[in-house]
Amino acid sequence: MTTTVSAAGLSLRYGLTTALDDVSLRLTEGVTGLLGPNGAGKTTLLRVLATAVPADEGTFTVLGHDPRTPAGRQETRRVLGYLPQTPGFHPDFSAFDFVDYVAILKELTDRTARHNEVRRVLAEVDLSDVRGKRIKKLSGGMRQRVALAAALVGDPGFLVLDEPTVGLDPEQRMRFRELIARAGEGRTVLLSTHQTEDVAMLCHRVVVMAAGRVRFDGTPAELTARAAGRVWSSSERDPNAKAGWRTGLGVFRNVGDPPPGAELVEPTLEDGYLLTLDGMHAEATA
Amino acid sequence: MTWHVAEDDVRAYARGELAPPMLWSADTHLAQCAECRALLASVTDPVALDAGWERLDAELDAPRRGLVESLLVRIGVADHTARLLAATPVLRRSWFGAVALLLVMTVLVTDASNVATPDVFLALAPLLPLAGVAMAYGPVLDPTYEMTVVAPMHGFKLLMIRTTAVLVAGLGLNGLATLALPGYGLAALAWLLPALALTATSLALTPRLGPVLAPGVVGGAWTALLLVAHGRATHGGTLAPFTATGQTVAAAVAVLAAGLLYLARDRFDTKTPGFGPTA
Repeated sequence: MTTTVSAAGLSLRYGLTTALDDVSLRLTEGVTGLLGPNGAGKTTLLRVLATAVPADEGTFTVLGHDPRTPAGRQETRRVLGYLPQTPGFHPDFSAFDFVDYVAILKELTDRTARHNEVRRVLAEVDLSDVRGKRIKKLSGGMRQRVALAAALVGDPGFLVLDEPTVGLDPEQRMRFRELIARAGEGRTVLLSTHQTEDVAMLCHRVVVMAAGRVRFDGTPAELTARAAGRVWSSSERDPNAKAGWRTGLGVFRNVGDPPPGAELVEPTLEDGYLLTLDGMHAEATA
Repeated sequence: MTWHVAEDDVRAYARGELAPPMLWSADTHLAQCAECRALLASVTDPVALDAGWERLDAELDAPRRGLVESLLVRIGVADHTARLLAATPVLRRSWFGAVALLLVMTVLVTDASNVATPDVFLALAPLLPLAGVAMAYGPVLDPTYEMTVVAPMHGFKLLMIRTTAVLVAGLGLNGLATLALPGYGLAALAWLLPALALTATSLALTPRLGPVLAPGVVGGAWTALLLVAHGRATHGGTLAPFTATGQTVAAAVAVLAAGLLYLARDRFDTKTPGFGPTA
């Protein structure tokens, strides 16, 4: 597949904190998941790729545009849709008002064309019926959809979504996933999330970050395969396991190096993710 | 039907070029005559018709404009610029209320104290537009800041749009307060040049210091300057910043800072303050 977004050697420090440490990646069309614990550098990476903050070192291009020059930055922003982690809204705006406002910031100045575009994106996130309602009266899930609609204005080729499913109830989360899947058709989407289910259901590729560095870059199946033969069940929590928790069936699911004779079970994406992070801890303490 | 609209007239009607009184006759007739309506439909340019429906849709869906936005559009400001101005965070009733209250209190104190120069008013008035402009652009008061900085619209352009709005509003309130102090004549206007100097300096420093520290430093420097001037002034004399020399210096600073701000305009797109390490 053709690379649409590529980054090489991105580094960024905030004082003594290293937020990004030599991050390189290549994205293609479709949804790529960005997994990692708090403080892993996910949001910082998204902000850099969205041109909200410049990196101290490294380069990146978005759909052929290099944001290091003023003209390149402008072009990058023209092909970009960005949904920040905590999107803010003007309190008195309706859904239509807000998306209309963002459309103006995206240089849609012709009133008729702009309003048509606003209607289109609100329909795309299934909010046509409440377009005149004030945002403060909408549910959390609807507000996220308003923010997604704003990100979709202008049909951007690169969509950056920072933890869009946080705080949503399961039904809203499922609905949002459908929208992301739809948005990922024909464009490059980078989706930051804590939820391995988001990745399992939506992403053709996954990048795991921790402590500002990329720890894994591959397909969800490859991440899952990392845990092959390293997940077992037992009636008690195995003290030698890297991680263990009681499942809904009442038995313990253990991840790590199984003891001889352990009852191995099929690994999941979450198991692969946990082992990747654990490998990072082992590396750090070695 | 005993008559039908001539085909040429139907075509003119479709183009919106049919003039009264024939237009009125055609309107009435078309409402009753299916044959002429069919002719009208056949000669109407489908592209123009679609464009008409789009314009109608756009009007029906158009957000209801608030008072400020309506006023701006009425005086000729472009619809999209009016929307950006109306969304300026500090242009809210609460901000206006607080500033107006502060000015009223200052004017009352000045009036009651019966002093030779309205120093308290002149010291405070330049700080109000400074604070307003500082809060017009940045992560502190703008909830959409993070989405704004990655939009293709130049940050400097948006800053200038909002600065103009806040300055017009802030200077307007100060002007009204000045009118409430007629006894001091032109001396009560000595806040204007310092206000422009402080605001321009703060904006010029914003790319380097950020939208909170820059006005903070400038406001602090203004306060320190006034304290020094107060210490040196003779009893009842005019403070140095409000003398002719002080006003000249303020004008020079305003021009210089405006020039530096213009030179630093691209930095509003590259250096976006307000982001730090995330949880």
